[in-house]
Amino acid sequence: MTLHNRAIRALLAGTTLAALALTASSAMAASKIAVITPYLAQPGTQFYVEAFQAAAKGKDWDVNVIDTAGDVAAVISRIEDMVNQNVDAIVINVDPTQVTAGLQAAKDAGIPVIGMDAGADPLLVTNVTSNGYAMAAETATYVADRIHGAGNVVMFVFEAFPPVQVRGVVADAVFGNFPDIKILDHVTPDVSDGGIADSRAKMEAILAANPEPGSIKAVWAAWDQPALGALQAIEAAGRQNEGIVITGIDANPQAREAIATGGNFEATVAQDFKGIGTTTADVVTRVLAAEDIKQGSIYVPTQLITASNAAE
Amino acid sequence: MLTVLRRYGTLIGFAAILIFFWISLPDTFMTARNWLNISQQMSMLIVAAAGMTIVMVMGDFDLSIGSMASLAGIVAAILFSFDYPIWAAVSIALIVGLAGGAVNGLLISFVGILPFVATLATLTMLSGAAFVVSGGKTISGRVIPEAFGNFAREGISLGNWGGVAVSLPNLTIVALIVAVLVWVLLEQTTFGRRLYAIGGNSEAAHLSGVAVRKLKLIAFALTGGSAALAGVMYASRVASANPTQGSGLMLNAIAAVFLGSTLSEHGEPRLLYSIVGVLVLGVLDNGLTQMSVDSNVRQILVGGIIILAVSTSSYTRRLR
Amino acid sequence: MTLLSLKDVTKAYGGVPALKGVDLSVAPGEIHALMGENGAGKSTLIKILAGVVAPDHADIQLDGQPVEIGSPRQAHSLGFRFIHQEFNVVPALSVAENIFMGRQYPKRGGLFVDWRKLNQAARDTLQKLGISHIDPARPLGSLSLGDQMLVRISSAFIGDDGAPARLYVLDEPTAALSRGESERLFTVLRELRAIGASVLYVSHRLDEVMAICDMATVVRDGRSIDTGKIADITHDDLVTLMIGRRVEEAYPPAIAAPRGETVLAAQELGIRGGRNVSFQVRAGEVLGIAGIANAGQRNLLRTLFGDLAATGGSMVLAGQAYRPRSPADAWRAGIGYIPRERRSEGLVLSRPIFENTTLPHLAAQSRWRIWLTPRREKRVTSQQGELVRLKASGPGQRVRELSGGNQQKVVFAKALLGKPRLLLLDEPTRGVDVGAKFDIYSIIRDMAAGGMGVVLVSSDLPELIGMADRIAVMRDGAITDIVAAAGLNEERLLNLCYGR
Repeated sequence: MTLHNRAIRALLAGTTLAALALTASSAMAASKIAVITPYLAQPGTQFYVEAFQAAAKGKDWDVNVIDTAGDVAAVISRIEDMVNQNVDAIVINVDPTQVTAGLQAAKDAGIPVIGMDAGADPLLVTNVTSNGYAMAAETATYVADRIHGAGNVVMFVFEAFPPVQVRGVVADAVFGNFPDIKILDHVTPDVSDGGIADSRAKMEAILAANPEPGSIKAVWAAWDQPALGALQAIEAAGRQNEGIVITGIDANPQAREAIATGGNFEATVAQDFKGIGTTTADVVTRVLAAEDIKQGSIYVPTQLITASNAAE
Repeated sequence: MLTVLRRYGTLIGFAAILIFFWISLPDTFMTARNWLNISQQMSMLIVAAAGMTIVMVMGDFDLSIGSMASLAGIVAAILFSFDYPIWAAVSIALIVGLAGGAVNGLLISFVGILPFVATLATLTMLSGAAFVVSGGKTISGRVIPEAFGNFAREGISLGNWGGVAVSLPNLTIVALIVAVLVWVLLEQTTFGRRLYAIGGNSEAAHLSGVAVRKLKLIAFALTGGSAALAGVMYASRVASANPTQGSGLMLNAIAAVFLGSTLSEHGEPRLLYSIVGVLVLGVLDNGLTQMSVDSNVRQILVGGIIILAVSTSSYTRRLR
Repeated sequence: MTLLSLKDVTKAYGGVPALKGVDLSVAPGEIHALMGENGAGKSTLIKILAGVVAPDHADIQLDGQPVEIGSPRQAHSLGFRFIHQEFNVVPALSVAENIFMGRQYPKRGGLFVDWRKLNQAARDTLQKLGISHIDPARPLGSLSLGDQMLVRISSAFIGDDGAPARLYVLDEPTAALSRGESERLFTVLRELRAIGASVLYVSHRLDEVMAICDMATVVRDGRSIDTGKIADITHDDLVTLMIGRRVEEAYPPAIAAPRGETVLAAQELGIRGGRNVSFQVRAGEVLGIAGIANAGQRNLLRTLFGDLAATGGSMVLAGQAYRPRSPADAWRAGIGYIPRERRSEGLVLSRPIFENTTLPHLAAQSRWRIWLTPRREKRVTSQQGELVRLKASGPGQRVRELSGGNQQKVVFAKALLGKPRLLLLDEPTRGVDVGAKFDIYSIIRDMAAGGMGVVLVSSDLPELIGMADRIAVMRDGAITDIVAAAGLNEERLLNLCYGR
């Protein structure tokens, strides 16, 4: 008996301690906010969440960050648990169409759910995110400007993933406004190994098909990996001095490095992850103050990265 | 006294956990609504653990159920995108599960590969297949029929309790049906009896006329089928399918069966005990989340409880 | 003079006493038998000596000095060596490696194992036991069970510096040995005695004990009942001491049963690893199968039972062609089987008695072959239990909790359910205590009298002679003789087994 008693007591003590440590601060707090995501381990998500928590500190909230370690169904379960706890607001960072069951439960209970780079959805109060349209427009206009509105452009796009698909549509619209810009090809690389290798192979084929210098003026990529692949292909073909302009989107570290060296890869766009977290905190404040938010999406400004600021 | 402990140690621990949460969360834990939530949250794990119990009764286990669940969800979703009716897509997904499980059974009983190796290999293969079929993407949105996603959201109304509309979730009903079926199969039929005999001593069972290899094949097929059902339920709950979404099921299912088997007098897995195991895991998740315990701390606690239960059980057994 | 003396040893497991007060005293240069039925406390006593189990109370003296045995290591350093029933070997390693396991291997250059030296040392050790037919380089698993046992025994006989240890404890060492192998072992034991080592010898085989032991201590119900010189005691006295009552006869009287129709006829039946055999078993007849270890008896039974495919020939069972492809076919055809290894082949120890009893008969013992009917099963099992004189708390008791003899009776209850036409017995009384043995013989007799055909494989020659009507002698996978058991003596049968 003793063994088991001790074991149970140890268990209870352990749970109590952990629970006390984490709830003690909450006893006095005015508002309970739950942040639920399956993706806490990913760098972008970490930035949002940390910025959100930092912003929350000044607001005397009790923030409960819940990570379901990649399990989307568990996000629904945890939303249900939070609804049951009657929290004041829930912030999610997951595709809202996959957690409709949880969002519906929150809505039925009158608990507002705010998306933090989640995707727009009628069941969300609003979604705070970067403006994909604006990001694509920014790099597309950069390209058009650099080639003085004339010449052949290769585009790397990806139709299957909606946020990236949008970028291609916007770039097409921008280039379509310049009668002397001709789109040589819309390339969809195979992304199963990250996208760089296949983009390079596809770009090499295009370079081979267009051997004259100046026959390709620019490469516009809907995200950074194909831009890096195209850069490798151009350098491998020895055509880095033809002035081919390459742009990407997302500003991943490898892209920043390539841009900083001052080669063909000239520009990309950085999302402001911290800004998304801080803005989400602001939105939560407004929602708690019973403000009616009309936009389905709230956009956080992005920043164009070129050789001059790539190292920052 | 020791016997009482050995038999009921895990139950006592479970009761202690319940009481602890009840006291800590007086308003929200011990409510019909919360328990219906838990039952729905655990429904997929109940189905997976019930299937796992079938093979663990024979002393085997199946590591591939997580990727089988993912694959089944993907198969159903892909068929939806080809405009298959829901019943057909779901049936085909379940058949894929049965067939995949039968392959496990074939490898283990007729080829003679250890379950660990065989199901580890099929885990990898099924997971790869899920990626190939889906193209590595999450299948969601309009291709998933609304009725399919709604199924997991709806239930049988139980009327108004204290002004709140309460309903028994469809997923809970499915889990209950599966639990009853597996219970009947293991406890009430000659099939189950023979599986227990194989688990106790497969050579003696063979010499007693039990068709060990054939039964193993069937048992693994059933485990694969229930994994597929769990995967389809998961897909319905998230109204989408993703090639990795079932991966959490496997370890939790094995943990639940192990935890449950500490309840049985001789340490063998039994269906009802597996469900208690699932409930322990589910209640911990639910209660600790409500108490705002950090999710990583939660995982440490869950692992600790499994070790505690199993070691207490084997320790008291040894003291006999 | 006393080498080892144990006084008032008690031990209880979870409140259940296993030893209630055992005294044992072993002199130097003595082969001392420790006798008792299964469950009498012999195993617990040995475990205490081995330092595996701590006694609740014990006065242990070695050479007149009080000692404590806290661990197996300590037992070893006191000079105790143990040879257990359960083999503790690694089948994949060579004979030599198994013999020297846990000891220093001879090294070359201080680093590499000197295999040649190791094998030579192993060969020398085996030679001491008069064993020359085992190649020390072969993997242990490729040897016969009997040879494996001899290797195991040899391993215990090497002292740390070549000198023998002080006390050897042998627990049923001959259970898996053939006659010849046993004889070799006895020779070694006598040699050990001659150089002053002592042996504590545990065996059910009274004849062996009478033949090689000097003293005997009998334990019953956890107490030592009596100690005396073997020379002053008779076979029957020993039995009476062990079971606490007199058994008049070792074998129940044969009931003059009318010999009926032929139950099983094997015609040029091809046995895997053996040759073709032909024989018949008639209703009401016990056909004994004799032979030295691995002469093909086991494969013969397994072929009859459908576990091994026949390589040729034919069988007729009760007038019908019989070609079993699995044990399931054999059970369906009305054959009951008692396998040799009760724990590993005969029983599912973790399950209740009734589940074991009905396992081969589930189709008949269920509703529509699918739905279990436990109440009926338990009733049927209780009836079977009475038939085999099973002592258990009820049909729901786990088999693991039963004594060896009662476990064997469960195997009989299983085999006899549904009244088979033919009963195949492979060493049915192996490791069974005297009282249960007699019960088992009575069951066999009763079944035969009821018209069942019985095939009895045994390495216990008196058992064969006492129980069988006819005895088929197997040698090198073939049946060489079939003789009437009446008037046969052990020596004659042994000569037949060796082909002399």
